Amino acid sequence: MVKVIFIEASGNRIEAEGSVGDSVMQVAVAAGVEAISADCGGACACGTCHCVMSEDWFARLPAPQSDEVDMLEFVIDPQKNSRLSCQVTLSDAMEGIEIQVPASQI
Amino acid sequence: MTSIPNSHLSLDPHGAEFARDPYAIYEAMRALREPFYYDDIETWMLTRMADVEAVALNKTMLRNNEEYISEQARLAQQKALNFHDMPHHERFVQINLLESEGDTHARLRKVVFREFTPAMISRQRAAIQAYVDHLLDQLSDHEEIDFVGDFAAHVPGHIIGRVLGVPDEDCDQLRHWSEEVVRFFDPGRDDADKARAEQATKEFYEYLLTLLTEREKKPQEDLLSRLVEQRNAGNLSQDELISTAMLILMAGHGSTIDVLGSGMHALLRFPDQHVRLCEDPSLMKTAVQEMFRFESPLPFFHRFATEETEVGGKTFPAGTRFGLLYGAANRDPERFENADQFDVGRVPNRHMAFGGGAHFCLGNHLARLDMDVIFTTLNTRFSQIALADPSPEYKRGLSVRGPKALRVGWTRA
Repeated sequence: MVKVIFIEASGNRIEAEGSVGDSVMQVAVAAGVEAISADCGGACACGTCHCVMSEDWFARLPAPQSDEVDMLEFVIDPQKNSRLSCQVTLSDAMEGIEIQVPASQI
Repeated sequence: MTSIPNSHLSLDPHGAEFARDPYAIYEAMRALREPFYYDDIETWMLTRMADVEAVALNKTMLRNNEEYISEQARLAQQKALNFHDMPHHERFVQINLLESEGDTHARLRKVVFREFTPAMISRQRAAIQAYVDHLLDQLSDHEEIDFVGDFAAHVPGHIIGRVLGVPDEDCDQLRHWSEEVVRFFDPGRDDADKARAEQATKEFYEYLLTLLTEREKKPQEDLLSRLVEQRNAGNLSQDELISTAMLILMAGHGSTIDVLGSGMHALLRFPDQHVRLCEDPSLMKTAVQEMFRFESPLPFFHRFATEETEVGGKTFPAGTRFGLLYGAANRDPERFENADQFDVGRVPNRHMAFGGGAHFCLGNHLARLDMDVIFTTLNTRFSQIALADPSPEYKRGLSVRGPKALRVGWTRA
Protein backbone atom coordinates (compact mmCIF):
# COMPACT_ATOMS: atom_id res chain seq x y z
CA MET A 1 0.00 0.00 0.00
CA VAL A 2 1.04 3.59 -0.69
CA LYS A 3 0.39 6.40 1.80
CA VAL A 4 -1.15 9.59 0.40
CA ILE A 5 -1.82 12.74 2.43
CA PHE A 6 -4.58 15.06 1.25
CA ILE A 7 -4.49 18.61 2.60
CA GLU A 8 -7.91 20.25 2.44
CA ALA A 9 -8.40 24.00 1.92
CA SER A 10 -9.04 24.34 5.69
CA GLY A 11 -5.60 22.86 6.37
CA ASN A 12 -7.13 19.59 7.56
CA ARG A 13 -4.89 16.64 6.70
CA ILE A 14 -6.41 13.34 5.63
CA GLU A 15 -4.06 10.38 5.53
CA ALA A 16 -5.12 7.60 3.21
CA GLU A 17 -3.71 4.50 1.62
CA GLY A 18 -4.16 3.10 -1.86
CA SER A 19 -2.81 0.25 -3.94
CA VAL A 20 -0.30 0.65 -6.72
CA GLY A 21 -2.34 1.17 -9.90
CA ASP A 22 -5.22 2.99 -8.17
CA SER A 23 -5.80 6.58 -9.24
CA VAL A 24 -5.25 9.33 -6.67
CA MET A 25 -8.93 10.22 -7.22
CA GLN A 26 -10.02 6.73 -6.17
CA VAL A 27 -7.93 6.99 -3.00
CA ALA A 28 -9.43 10.42 -2.24
CA VAL A 29 -13.02 9.27 -2.78
CA ALA A 30 -12.51 6.16 -0.63
CA ALA A 31 -11.01 8.33 2.11
CA GLY A 32 -13.99 10.71 2.04
CA VAL A 33 -12.15 13.76 0.70
CA GLU A 34 -15.30 15.75 -0.01
CA ALA A 35 -13.79 18.34 -2.35
CA ILE A 36 -12.75 15.66 -4.84
CA SER A 37 -16.21 15.21 -6.31
CA ALA A 38 -14.99 13.33 -9.41
CA ASP A 39 -18.40 13.54 -11.04
CA CYS A 40 -17.61 11.57 -14.21
CA GLY A 41 -16.04 8.75 -12.21
CA GLY A 42 -12.54 9.05 -13.63
CA ALA A 43 -12.79 9.56 -17.40
CA CYS A 44 -11.14 12.98 -17.63
CA ALA A 45 -14.54 14.28 -18.76
CA CYS A 46 -15.65 16.72 -16.03
CA GLY A 47 -12.72 18.49 -14.35
CA THR A 48 -14.04 17.96 -10.81
CA CYS A 49 -11.11 16.06 -9.27
CA HIS A 50 -8.61 18.91 -9.49
CA CYS A 51 -5.72 18.88 -7.04
CA VAL A 52 -2.36 20.61 -6.74
CA MET A 53 0.99 18.90 -6.25
CA SER A 54 4.13 20.41 -4.77
CA GLU A 55 6.63 21.53 -7.41
CA ASP A 56 8.90 18.65 -6.50
CA TRP A 57 6.19 15.98 -6.77
CA PHE A 58 4.80 17.48 -9.95
CA ALA A 59 8.21 17.16 -11.61
CA ARG A 60 8.66 13.58 -10.41
CA LEU A 61 5.32 12.30 -11.73
CA PRO A 62 4.76 11.24 -15.35
CA ALA A 63 3.65 14.32 -17.30
CA PRO A 64 -0.07 14.81 -17.96
CA GLN A 65 -1.47 13.68 -21.34
CA SER A 66 -3.02 16.20 -23.72
CA ASP A 67 -6.65 15.46 -22.73
CA GLU A 68 -5.80 16.21 -19.09
CA VAL A 69 -3.94 19.40 -20.04
CA ASP A 70 -7.00 20.50 -22.06
CA MET A 71 -9.35 19.82 -19.16
CA LEU A 72 -7.12 21.63 -16.66
CA GLU A 73 -7.82 24.86 -18.56
CA PHE A 74 -11.38 24.70 -17.25
CA VAL A 75 -10.87 24.02 -13.53
CA ILE A 76 -11.31 26.76 -10.98
CA ASP A 77 -8.06 28.58 -10.21
CA PRO A 78 -5.61 26.28 -12.02
CA GLN A 79 -1.99 26.34 -10.79
CA LYS A 80 1.16 25.45 -12.67
CA ASN A 81 1.35 22.23 -10.63
CA SER A 82 -2.34 21.33 -11.06
CA ARG A 83 -3.36 17.79 -11.93
CA LEU A 84 -6.60 15.91 -12.33
CA SER A 85 -6.37 13.27 -9.64
CA CYS A 86 -8.18 10.70 -11.82
CA GLN A 87 -5.24 10.79 -14.22
CA VAL A 88 -2.51 10.27 -11.62
CA THR A 89 -1.77 6.60 -10.97
CA LEU A 90 -0.27 5.50 -7.66
CA SER A 91 3.19 3.98 -7.74
CA ASP A 92 5.53 2.84 -4.96
CA ALA A 93 7.63 5.93 -5.60
CA MET A 94 4.72 8.09 -4.42
CA GLU A 95 4.85 6.91 -0.79
CA GLY A 96 4.00 9.85 1.48
CA ILE A 97 2.97 12.26 -1.30
CA GLU A 98 1.19 15.37 -0.04
CA ILE A 99 -1.61 16.72 -2.26
CA GLN A 100 -3.47 20.01 -1.89
CA VAL A 101 -7.20 19.86 -2.47
CA PRO A 102 -9.16 23.02 -3.44
CA ALA A 103 -12.12 24.20 -1.37
CA SER A 104 -14.54 23.33 -4.14
CA GLN A 105 -14.52 22.05 -7.69
CA ILE A 106 -17.50 24.06 -8.88
CA MET B 1 -42.90 -7.88 -20.82
CA THR B 2 -40.49 -10.27 -19.09
CA SER B 3 -41.13 -11.99 -15.75
CA ILE B 4 -38.54 -11.42 -13.07
CA PRO B 5 -37.53 -14.76 -11.46
CA ASN B 6 -38.17 -15.26 -7.73
CA SER B 7 -40.71 -12.43 -7.65
CA HIS B 8 -44.29 -11.82 -8.64
CA LEU B 9 -43.15 -8.85 -10.76
CA SER B 10 -42.52 -8.42 -14.48
CA LEU B 11 -40.52 -5.83 -16.37
CA ASP B 12 -43.01 -3.99 -18.54
CA PRO B 13 -41.63 -0.46 -18.93
CA HIS B 14 -44.65 0.70 -20.92
CA GLY B 15 -47.12 -0.43 -18.28
CA ALA B 16 -48.82 1.71 -15.65
CA GLU B 17 -47.24 -0.25 -12.78
CA PHE B 18 -43.70 0.56 -13.89
CA ALA B 19 -44.56 4.25 -14.30
CA ARG B 20 -46.13 4.30 -10.82
CA ASP B 21 -43.20 2.65 -9.02
CA PRO B 22 -40.22 1.46 -11.06
CA TYR B 23 -38.18 1.10 -7.88
CA ALA B 24 -39.97 -2.04 -6.67
CA ILE B 25 -39.22 -3.62 -10.05
CA TYR B 26 -35.60 -2.47 -9.98
CA GLU B 27 -35.30 -3.98 -6.50
CA ALA B 28 -36.65 -7.33 -7.69
CA MET B 29 -34.06 -7.30 -10.50
CA ARG B 30 -31.27 -6.30 -8.10
CA ALA B 31 -32.23 -9.12 -5.73
CA LEU B 32 -31.24 -11.61 -8.45
CA ARG B 33 -27.60 -10.63 -7.69
CA GLU B 34 -26.70 -10.90 -11.37
CA PRO B 35 -27.55 -9.06 -14.61
CA PHE B 36 -31.11 -9.65 -15.79
CA TYR B 37 -31.80 -10.46 -19.47
CA TYR B 38 -34.66 -8.41 -20.86
CA ASP B 39 -35.47 -10.27 -24.04
CA ASP B 40 -37.90 -7.68 -25.47
CA ILE B 41 -34.89 -5.49 -26.30
CA GLU B 42 -32.16 -8.18 -26.15
CA THR B 43 -30.36 -6.35 -23.38
CA TRP B 44 -28.68 -7.36 -20.10
CA MET B 45 -30.05 -5.01 -17.48
CA LEU B 46 -27.71 -3.78 -14.74
CA THR B 47 -29.21 -2.51 -11.50
CA ARG B 48 -26.27 -2.56 -9.04
CA MET B 49 -24.18 0.62 -8.82
CA ALA B 50 -20.92 -1.35 -8.98
CA ASP B 51 -21.93 -2.94 -12.31
CA VAL B 52 -23.40 0.23 -13.83
CA GLU B 53 -20.33 2.24 -12.84
CA ALA B 54 -17.94 -0.41 -14.19
CA VAL B 55 -19.65 -0.48 -17.60
CA ALA B 56 -20.03 3.32 -17.86
CA LEU B 57 -16.31 3.75 -17.17
CA ASN B 58 -15.15 0.88 -19.37
CA LYS B 59 -13.58 2.36 -22.49
CA THR B 60 -14.26 -0.81 -24.49
CA MET B 61 -18.02 -0.31 -24.00
CA LEU B 62 -19.50 1.93 -26.68
CA ARG B 63 -22.87 3.55 -27.32
CA ASN B 64 -22.63 2.70 -30.98
CA ASN B 65 -21.80 -0.78 -32.24
CA GLU B 66 -21.41 0.13 -35.91
CA GLU B 67 -17.64 0.35 -35.72
CA TYR B 68 -17.11 -3.33 -35.06
CA ILE B 69 -20.08 -5.16 -36.56
CA SER B 70 -19.95 -6.31 -40.18
CA GLU B 71 -21.11 -4.07 -42.99
CA GLN B 72 -23.96 -6.53 -43.61
CA ALA B 73 -25.03 -6.42 -39.96
CA ARG B 74 -24.81 -2.63 -39.97
CA LEU B 75 -27.05 -2.37 -43.03
CA ALA B 76 -29.53 -4.82 -41.49
CA GLN B 77 -29.58 -2.75 -38.30
CA GLN B 78 -30.18 0.47 -40.22
CA LYS B 79 -32.90 -1.17 -42.27
CA ALA B 80 -34.60 -2.30 -39.07
CA LEU B 81 -34.55 1.29 -37.85
CA ASN B 82 -35.84 2.35 -41.26
CA PHE B 83 -34.74 5.93 -41.17
CA HIS B 84 -33.57 6.26 -44.75
CA ASP B 85 -36.66 8.22 -45.65
CA MET B 86 -35.60 10.74 -43.00
CA PRO B 87 -32.59 12.49 -44.56
CA HIS B 88 -32.45 15.50 -42.25
CA HIS B 89 -33.05 13.42 -39.13
CA GLU B 90 -30.36 10.94 -40.12
CA ARG B 91 -27.90 13.72 -40.94
CA PHE B 92 -28.36 15.94 -37.89
CA VAL B 93 -29.96 13.89 -35.13
CA GLN B 94 -28.83 10.31 -35.43
CA ILE B 95 -25.19 11.26 -35.82
CA ASN B 96 -24.03 13.65 -33.12
CA LEU B 97 -21.80 14.20 -30.10
CA LEU B 98 -23.85 11.82 -27.96
CA GLU B 99 -23.63 9.00 -30.50
CA SER B 100 -19.96 9.46 -31.37
CA GLU B 101 -17.00 7.76 -29.70
CA GLY B 102 -13.24 8.05 -29.36
CA ASP B 103 -11.41 10.88 -31.08
CA THR B 104 -14.53 12.30 -32.77
CA HIS B 105 -16.36 12.44 -29.44
CA ALA B 106 -13.37 14.04 -27.68
CA ARG B 107 -13.00 16.65 -30.45
CA LEU B 108 -16.68 17.63 -30.46
CA ARG B 109 -16.91 17.66 -26.67
CA LYS B 110 -13.88 19.91 -26.41
CA VAL B 111 -15.47 22.41 -28.81
CA VAL B 112 -18.41 23.02 -26.45
CA PHE B 113 -17.05 22.06 -23.03
CA ARG B 114 -15.86 25.55 -22.07
CA GLU B 115 -19.40 26.92 -22.40
CA PHE B 116 -20.68 24.45 -19.82
CA THR B 117 -18.04 24.83 -17.12
CA PRO B 118 -19.25 26.10 -13.73
CA ALA B 119 -17.64 29.49 -14.32
CA MET B 120 -19.41 30.02 -17.65
CA ILE B 121 -22.73 28.63 -16.44
CA SER B 122 -22.74 30.80 -13.32
CA ARG B 123 -23.06 33.81 -15.66
CA GLN B 124 -26.60 32.63 -16.43
CA ARG B 125 -27.80 32.95 -12.82
CA ALA B 126 -29.24 36.46 -13.19
CA ALA B 127 -31.02 35.52 -16.43
CA ILE B 128 -32.53 32.40 -14.88
CA GLN B 129 -33.64 34.39 -11.84
CA ALA B 130 -35.23 37.09 -14.02
CA TYR B 131 -37.12 34.56 -16.12
CA VAL B 132 -38.31 32.55 -13.11
CA ASP B 133 -39.50 35.76 -11.44
CA HIS B 134 -41.29 36.78 -14.64
CA LEU B 135 -43.12 33.43 -14.85
CA LEU B 136 -44.03 33.44 -11.16
CA ASP B 137 -45.35 37.00 -11.39
CA GLN B 138 -47.89 35.64 -13.86
CA LEU B 139 -48.73 32.50 -11.87
CA SER B 140 -48.52 33.36 -8.20
CA ASP B 141 -52.09 34.71 -8.00
CA HIS B 142 -53.45 31.36 -9.16
CA GLU B 143 -54.52 29.16 -6.27
CA GLU B 144 -53.64 26.01 -8.17
CA ILE B 145 -51.38 25.31 -11.16
CA ASP B 146 -49.85 22.44 -13.07
CA PHE B 147 -46.30 22.86 -11.83
CA VAL B 148 -44.95 20.98 -14.85
CA GLY B 149 -46.99 22.36 -17.74
CA ASP B 150 -47.58 25.90 -16.49
CA PHE B 151 -44.16 26.52 -15.00
CA ALA B 152 -41.32 23.98 -15.17
CA ALA B 153 -41.76 23.25 -18.87
CA HIS B 154 -40.92 26.84 -19.77
CA VAL B 155 -37.66 27.36 -17.89
CA PRO B 156 -34.91 25.00 -19.12
CA GLY B 157 -35.65 25.47 -22.84
CA HIS B 158 -35.67 29.23 -22.42
CA ILE B 159 -32.31 29.19 -20.63
CA ILE B 160 -30.56 26.75 -22.98
CA GLY B 161 -31.89 28.87 -25.85
CA ARG B 162 -30.20 31.90 -24.28
CA VAL B 163 -26.91 30.00 -23.85
CA LEU B 164 -27.00 29.05 -27.51
CA GLY B 165 -28.01 32.51 -28.62
CA VAL B 166 -31.60 31.98 -29.75
CA PRO B 167 -33.85 35.05 -29.42
CA ASP B 168 -36.23 34.75 -26.43
CA GLU B 169 -39.31 34.92 -28.64
CA ASP B 170 -38.24 31.78 -30.56
CA CYS B 171 -37.64 29.54 -27.52
CA ASP B 172 -41.18 28.10 -27.50
CA GLN B 173 -40.84 27.14 -31.15
CA LEU B 174 -37.55 25.40 -30.40
CA ARG B 175 -39.18 23.43 -27.61
CA HIS B 176 -41.87 22.32 -30.02
CA TRP B 177 -39.31 21.22 -32.61
CA SER B 178 -37.28 19.37 -29.97
CA GLU B 179 -40.35 17.44 -28.84
CA GLU B 180 -41.19 16.53 -32.42
CA VAL B 181 -37.64 15.51 -33.29
CA VAL B 182 -37.38 13.05 -30.39
CA ARG B 183 -40.62 11.33 -31.42
CA PHE B 184 -38.41 9.12 -33.57
CA PHE B 185 -36.87 7.61 -30.44
CA ASP B 186 -40.23 6.60 -28.95
CA PRO B 187 -40.35 2.79 -29.28
CA GLY B 188 -44.04 3.05 -30.15
CA ARG B 189 -43.45 5.46 -33.04
CA ASP B 190 -45.43 5.05 -36.25
CA ASP B 191 -44.93 6.48 -39.75
CA ALA B 192 -46.78 9.66 -38.85
CA ASP B 193 -44.41 10.24 -35.90
CA LYS B 194 -41.43 9.68 -38.17
CA ALA B 195 -42.78 12.15 -40.73
CA ARG B 196 -43.30 14.75 -38.01
CA ALA B 197 -39.80 14.13 -36.61
CA GLU B 198 -38.29 14.58 -40.06
CA GLN B 199 -40.31 17.73 -40.81
CA ALA B 200 -39.36 19.29 -37.47
CA THR B 201 -35.68 18.46 -38.05
CA LYS B 202 -35.84 20.13 -41.47
CA GLU B 203 -37.47 23.27 -40.07
CA PHE B 204 -35.08 23.32 -37.13
CA TYR B 205 -32.12 23.01 -39.54
CA GLU B 206 -33.34 25.83 -41.76
CA TYR B 207 -33.91 28.03 -38.72
CA LEU B 208 -30.39 27.38 -37.42
CA LEU B 209 -28.91 28.14 -40.85
CA THR B 210 -30.50 31.60 -40.74
CA LEU B 211 -29.16 32.24 -37.24
CA LEU B 212 -25.70 31.04 -38.25
CA THR B 213 -25.62 33.42 -41.19
CA GLU B 214 -26.42 36.25 -38.78
CA ARG B 215 -23.65 35.15 -36.39
CA GLU B 216 -21.12 34.95 -39.20
CA LYS B 217 -21.84 38.58 -40.03
CA LYS B 218 -22.02 39.75 -36.44
CA PRO B 219 -20.67 37.40 -33.74
CA GLN B 220 -22.23 37.63 -30.27
CA GLU B 221 -21.28 36.38 -26.82
CA ASP B 222 -23.09 33.08 -27.31
CA LEU B 223 -22.50 29.43 -28.10
CA LEU B 224 -23.61 29.68 -31.74
CA SER B 225 -20.95 32.31 -32.40
CA ARG B 226 -18.40 30.12 -30.65
CA LEU B 227 -19.44 27.16 -32.83
CA VAL B 228 -19.06 29.26 -35.98
CA GLU B 229 -15.59 30.31 -34.82
CA GLN B 230 -14.65 26.68 -34.16
CA ARG B 231 -16.02 25.56 -37.54
CA ASN B 232 -14.01 28.28 -39.29
CA ALA B 233 -10.93 27.07 -37.38
CA GLY B 234 -11.52 23.60 -38.82
CA ASN B 235 -12.44 21.99 -35.48
CA LEU B 236 -15.84 20.77 -36.64
CA SER B 237 -17.78 20.52 -39.89
CA GLN B 238 -20.93 22.43 -40.76
CA ASP B 239 -23.07 19.30 -40.26
CA GLU B 240 -21.39 18.65 -36.91
CA LEU B 241 -22.11 22.25 -35.92
CA ILE B 242 -25.81 21.84 -36.72
CA SER B 243 -26.10 18.46 -35.00
CA THR B 244 -24.27 19.76 -31.92
CA ALA B 245 -26.55 22.80 -31.67
CA MET B 246 -29.65 20.59 -32.03
CA LEU B 247 -28.39 18.11 -29.46
CA ILE B 248 -27.67 20.84 -26.92
CA LEU B 249 -31.13 22.31 -27.39
CA MET B 250 -32.84 18.93 -27.11
CA ALA B 251 -30.73 17.58 -24.25
CA GLY B 252 -31.00 20.89 -22.46
CA HIS B 253 -34.62 20.89 -21.56
CA GLY B 254 -36.62 17.63 -21.47
CA SER B 255 -34.79 15.91 -18.65
CA THR B 256 -34.57 19.06 -16.54
CA ILE B 257 -38.33 19.57 -16.85
CA ASP B 258 -38.82 15.98 -15.67
CA VAL B 259 -36.57 16.33 -12.62
CA LEU B 260 -38.10 19.69 -11.72
CA GLY B 261 -41.47 17.93 -11.63
CA SER B 262 -40.29 14.86 -9.75
CA GLY B 263 -38.14 16.98 -7.42
CA MET B 264 -41.11 19.13 -6.50
CA HIS B 265 -43.19 15.99 -6.06
CA ALA B 266 -40.53 14.50 -3.75
CA LEU B 267 -40.48 17.64 -1.59
CA LEU B 268 -44.27 17.53 -1.29
CA ARG B 269 -44.37 13.79 -0.57
CA PHE B 270 -41.79 14.22 2.19
CA PRO B 271 -42.95 17.44 3.91
CA ASP B 272 -40.39 17.08 6.70
CA GLN B 273 -37.65 17.42 4.09
CA HIS B 274 -39.43 20.39 2.50
CA VAL B 275 -39.62 22.15 5.87
CA ARG B 276 -35.98 21.30 6.57
CA LEU B 277 -34.93 22.87 3.25
CA CYS B 278 -37.04 25.99 3.79
CA GLU B 279 -35.54 26.45 7.26
CA ASP B 280 -31.99 25.88 6.06
CA PRO B 281 -31.48 27.22 2.50
CA SER B 282 -27.78 26.26 2.71
CA LEU B 283 -28.97 22.71 1.99
CA MET B 284 -30.09 23.66 -1.52
CA LYS B 285 -27.05 22.16 -3.29
CA THR B 286 -27.37 18.81 -1.54
CA ALA B 287 -31.15 18.91 -2.01
CA VAL B 288 -30.78 19.32 -5.76
CA GLN B 289 -28.26 16.48 -5.87
CA GLU B 290 -30.74 14.34 -3.95
CA MET B 291 -33.56 15.15 -6.39
CA PHE B 292 -31.38 13.84 -9.22
CA ARG B 293 -30.49 10.70 -7.27
CA PHE B 294 -33.98 9.98 -5.97
CA GLU B 295 -35.80 10.36 -9.30
CA SER B 296 -33.14 10.21 -12.00
CA PRO B 297 -34.78 11.78 -15.07
CA LEU B 298 -32.84 9.70 -17.62
CA PRO B 299 -32.87 6.32 -15.88
CA PHE B 300 -31.65 4.15 -18.76
CA PHE B 301 -28.78 4.25 -21.24
CA HIS B 302 -27.12 1.43 -23.13
CA ARG B 303 -23.61 0.32 -24.05
CA PHE B 304 -22.31 -2.38 -26.38
CA ALA B 305 -19.39 -4.60 -25.38
CA THR B 306 -16.73 -4.54 -28.07
CA GLU B 307 -14.83 -7.44 -26.53
CA GLU B 308 -15.55 -10.34 -24.17
CA THR B 309 -16.19 -8.81 -20.75
CA GLU B 310 -17.07 -9.86 -17.22
CA VAL B 311 -19.89 -7.90 -15.63
CA GLY B 312 -21.57 -8.71 -12.33
CA GLY B 313 -19.86 -12.10 -12.08
CA LYS B 314 -20.86 -13.31 -15.57
CA THR B 315 -18.86 -13.37 -18.79
CA PHE B 316 -20.41 -11.82 -21.88
CA PRO B 317 -19.27 -12.00 -25.51
CA ALA B 318 -18.44 -9.03 -27.73
CA GLY B 319 -21.61 -7.52 -29.14
CA THR B 320 -23.59 -7.86 -25.88
CA ARG B 321 -25.88 -4.93 -25.21
CA PHE B 322 -26.04 -3.74 -21.61
CA GLY B 323 -28.74 -1.57 -20.07
CA LEU B 324 -27.36 0.87 -17.50
CA LEU B 325 -30.28 1.49 -15.17
CA TYR B 326 -29.05 4.66 -13.52
CA GLY B 327 -32.39 5.04 -11.76
CA ALA B 328 -31.88 1.64 -10.11
CA ALA B 329 -28.17 2.12 -9.33
CA ASN B 330 -29.03 5.38 -7.60
CA ARG B 331 -31.25 3.45 -5.18
CA ASP B 332 -28.72 0.66 -4.56
CA PRO B 333 -28.56 0.08 -0.78
CA GLU B 334 -25.00 -1.19 -1.15
CA ARG B 335 -24.01 2.35 -2.15
CA PHE B 336 -26.58 4.56 -0.40
CA GLU B 337 -27.67 4.35 3.21
CA ASN B 338 -31.50 4.33 3.42
CA ALA B 339 -31.51 4.46 -0.37
CA ASP B 340 -35.29 4.79 -0.67
CA GLN B 341 -35.36 7.72 1.73
CA PHE B 342 -35.41 11.26 0.30
CA ASP B 343 -32.83 13.20 2.31
CA VAL B 344 -32.13 16.81 1.29
CA GLY B 345 -28.92 16.85 3.32
CA ARG B 346 -27.47 13.60 1.95
CA VAL B 347 -23.64 13.60 1.94
CA PRO B 348 -21.88 11.88 0.28
CA ASN B 349 -24.17 11.52 -2.69
CA ARG B 350 -22.14 10.09 -5.56
CA HIS B 351 -25.08 9.26 -7.80
CA MET B 352 -25.00 8.54 -11.51
CA ALA B 353 -27.98 10.57 -12.69
CA PHE B 354 -25.64 12.44 -15.05
CA GLY B 355 -24.12 9.20 -16.29
CA GLY B 356 -20.41 8.56 -16.07
CA GLY B 357 -17.32 8.14 -18.15
CA ALA B 358 -16.59 10.00 -21.38
CA HIS B 359 -20.31 10.74 -21.99
CA PHE B 360 -20.84 12.38 -18.58
CA CYS B 361 -23.64 14.95 -18.93
CA LEU B 362 -22.23 18.12 -20.43
CA GLY B 363 -25.07 20.28 -19.12
CA ASN B 364 -25.07 19.09 -15.51
CA HIS B 365 -24.03 22.45 -14.02
CA LEU B 366 -26.72 24.29 -15.97
CA ALA B 367 -29.41 21.82 -14.89
CA ARG B 368 -28.32 22.13 -11.27
CA LEU B 369 -28.27 25.92 -11.46
CA ASP B 370 -31.81 25.99 -12.96
CA MET B 371 -32.98 23.80 -10.08
CA ASP B 372 -31.15 25.81 -7.43
CA VAL B 373 -32.64 29.12 -8.59
CA ILE B 374 -36.14 27.70 -9.00
CA PHE B 375 -36.45 25.96 -5.63
CA THR B 376 -34.76 28.82 -3.78
CA THR B 377 -37.22 31.26 -5.35
CA LEU B 378 -40.24 29.07 -4.65
CA ASN B 379 -39.21 28.74 -1.01
CA THR B 380 -38.95 32.50 -0.74
CA ARG B 381 -42.11 33.49 -2.59
CA PHE B 382 -44.55 30.92 -1.25
CA SER B 383 -45.37 30.21 2.36
CA GLN B 384 -47.07 26.97 1.52
CA ILE B 385 -47.12 24.55 -1.41
CA ALA B 386 -49.14 21.33 -1.39
CA LEU B 387 -50.13 18.56 -3.76
CA ALA B 388 -53.57 19.12 -5.26
CA ASP B 389 -53.51 15.67 -6.88
CA PRO B 390 -51.99 13.12 -4.47
CA SER B 391 -51.20 10.60 -7.24
CA PRO B 392 -49.77 12.36 -10.27
CA GLU B 393 -49.27 10.15 -13.30
CA TYR B 394 -45.67 9.60 -14.43
CA LYS B 395 -44.48 9.19 -18.00
CA ARG B 396 -44.22 5.63 -19.27
CA GLY B 397 -41.07 4.02 -20.63
CA LEU B 398 -37.65 2.80 -19.62
CA SER B 399 -35.75 5.91 -20.67
CA VAL B 400 -37.68 8.71 -18.99
CA ARG B 401 -38.84 9.49 -15.47
CA GLY B 402 -40.98 12.47 -14.59
CA PRO B 403 -44.59 13.40 -13.90
CA LYS B 404 -46.79 14.22 -16.89
CA ALA B 405 -48.42 16.91 -14.79
CA LEU B 406 -48.20 17.97 -11.15
CA ARG B 407 -51.19 19.86 -9.77
CA VAL B 408 -50.17 21.96 -6.77
CA GLY B 409 -51.88 24.55 -4.67
CA TRP B 410 -49.84 27.40 -3.24
CA THR B 411 -50.05 30.42 -1.01
CA ARG B 412 -47.91 33.51 -1.44
CA ALA B 413 -45.57 34.45 1.39
